[in-house]
Amino acid sequence: MKQVAAEVISVEQILPGLKRPAARSIAGSWLIRLSCPEIAREARPGQFVMVRCGGELTLPRPFSIHQISGDGIALFFAVWEDGRGTNWLRQKKTGEAVEIFGPLGNGFSIQPSSKNLLLVAGGTGVAPLRFLGQEALGKGCSVTLLLGAATAAQLYPERLLPSLIKLVTATVDGTAGRKGMVTELMPDFAAQADQVFACGPMPMYRDMAAQKRKLRLIGKPVQISLEMRMGCGLGVCYGCTVKTRNGLKQVCKDGPVFELDDILWEELPKS
Amino acid sequence: MNLSVELAPKHKPGLRLANPVMTAAGTFGYGTEYSHLFDIQRLGAIVCKGTTLEPREGNPQPRLVETASGLLNSIGLQNIGVRALLEEKAPVWAGWRVPVIVNIAGEKVEDYAQLAHELDGAAGISGLEVNISCPNVKAGGAEFGTSPEPAARVTAAVKAATSLPIIVKLTPNTGEIVKVALAVAQAGADAIALINTVRGMAIDIATRRPLLGNKTGGLSGPAIKPIALAMVYEVASAVDVPVIGCGGITSGRDAIEFIMAGASAVQVGTASFQNPRAPLDVLEGIEEFMKKEEIKDIAEIIGAARR
Ligand SMILES: Cc1cc2nc3c(=O)[nH]c(=O)nc-3n(C[C@H](O)[C@H](O)[C@H](O)COP(=O)(O)OP(=O)(O)OC[C@H]3O[C@@H](n4cnc5c(N)ncnc54)[C@H](O)[C@@H]3O)c2cc1C
Ligand SMILES: Cc1cc2nc3c(=O)[nH]c(=O)nc-3n(C[C@H](O)[C@H](O)[C@H](O)COP(=O)(O)O)c2cc1C
Ligand code: FES
Repeated sequence: MKQVAAEVISVEQILPGLKRPAARSIAGSWLIRLSCPEIAREARPGQFVMVRCGGELTLPRPFSIHQISGDGIALFFAVWEDGRGTNWLRQKKTGEAVEIFGPLGNGFSIQPSSKNLLLVAGGTGVAPLRFLGQEALGKGCSVTLLLGAATAAQLYPERLLPSLIKLVTATVDGTAGRKGMVTELMPDFAAQADQVFACGPMPMYRDMAAQKRKLRLIGKPVQISLEMRMGCGLGVCYGCTVKTRNGLKQVCKDGPVFELDDILWEELPKS
Repeated sequence: MNLSVELAPKHKPGLRLANPVMTAAGTFGYGTEYSHLFDIQRLGAIVCKGTTLEPREGNPQPRLVETASGLLNSIGLQNIGVRALLEEKAPVWAGWRVPVIVNIAGEKVEDYAQLAHELDGAAGISGLEVNISCPNVKAGGAEFGTSPEPAARVTAAVKAATSLPIIVKLTPNTGEIVKVALAVAQAGADAIALINTVRGMAIDIATRRPLLGNKTGGLSGPAIKPIALAMVYEVASAVDVPVIGCGGITSGRDAIEFIMAGASAVQVGTASFQNPRAPLDVLEGIEEFMKKEEIKDIAEIIGAARR
């Protein structure tokens, strides 16, 4: 784990904005590449970094590691229309420095015996799963990614994914792939999977936990990456504590990856 | 250049720090968490997470809300409890050069006394910091630290139960901070630290509900620095024990302000979240200032703004 001033290699908008009447609107999604050999060397899929988004903010912002390439890491992030940190980060220019520390957290774990992996991404949830998919392909696994979004324009572009990943999409409005939620694709794919890895919004996890039979998840090892408000990212502030079947856990240190069944969903805030 | 400070001049053997920069309770864990990121042995002292007799689960989520230049928290003193601290943490500290001070908290005067008793004589512990911002269950939930009499009772009970130097940490959520400071100094505090967090809240206008699971919480960070500074100034003018300044310190400049207001040492809290190296940056900032101003001993500027 290191704290470094990482040089910005590139910043690129990947997806357009999205107005959401009932929820927080998104200004768009960006990909930032940062040069940080010390962090890139150590990072495992599912881990995250803390980014200091300018001197004005009190807290750093957590982002999953999206990709590792050579000495660099990439972050894929949704910018909230009114988000102070994410709007700061998207305006960074090539050559500028961004202070980050990491890698943090436990990361996903692929069982040595697993051959078929099912990755389930709800929207920006693709962020940690791309890194996982890449790593799994390198281990000789076959990888299927179920990718869901509100509408076609919000789907993470296929050209940015490793070509060996099998991609299946769903959109809420039916403009691409199957019409509906990404979880509705699961019954067709979960049975063949040795392990399932999911990242998405809280309601997606609640669905998965509540409909295990319908989604063919009974007896299946399912790992999810949990989002919680964070202070320190290092396990010192107890800001991110959640109740699990194995007692209190700190999402930043004991997570962010947990078994779906370990989390006591009814104990968590709604959104 | 002499940066060392004595925080417990009335105590034997005292509490001498190599420099005036400490970490604030609850923002630096048990010190071990930061040892990968920088040389924590360079700090003046480390104050660990608030510790209670039994482990505590803390408050419901959400526990953190960022506000303008500040942070609201309602952690609710989640901690591992004094026994786990003695078994797992103190032995590690025993091998450190930097002194570690254990922050203690309770709901009854007897809790504090027992904590002090259990921690007395343990290797790796150089002092106690008594958090009197906790609700006093016996007195209907008002904080011990809001009035002089209960604050003094806690202090005297801790003093009687330990041979360690004790720092009493004051809450700003009182109109009587100078009286509370005088009372705890009289009751045996070797030093006084201030301030703890300022009571506050935030509301989500979309859901029309408080943002914190506990509804209200404590405000920290740069937003509270001017409040803390004024209180340090007032308290340092009134008491004859060393004062430790805390509240919104992020840089050497901030720390120097507190020292000039009368603080013999400072604690860095919330700043460590944004920048884990913050305590070290603060120390280096102080050193730079002293070099530039040709100050040979930190004592030369302690209380400079009061003269
Ligand atoms: C382990 C982890 C990994 C994450 N990885 C990614 C990622 O790869 N891509 C991505 O787009 N987002 C990710 N997020 C969410 C991301 O951290 C937030 O969207 C971001 O902090 C918002 O910052 P802001 O200043 O723009 O928003 P603001 O709302 O202005 O932030 C205010 C405060 O709330 C916190 N906050 C706001 N939204 C969230 C959220 N959804 N989760 C946690 N804290 C939040 C902020 O960190 C900050 O402390 C991750 C969160 C966690 C906990
Ligand atoms: C997350 C968090 C946890 C804290 N826990 C404790 C604690 O356990 N005991 C205590 O005396 N103070 C605790 N504090 C208060 C700090 O030690 C400090 O007094 C306060 O935050 C003001 O300093 P700052 O602005 O530099 O953070 C906590 C503060 C924060 C932000
Ligand atoms: S964010 Fe501080 S303990 Fe997890």
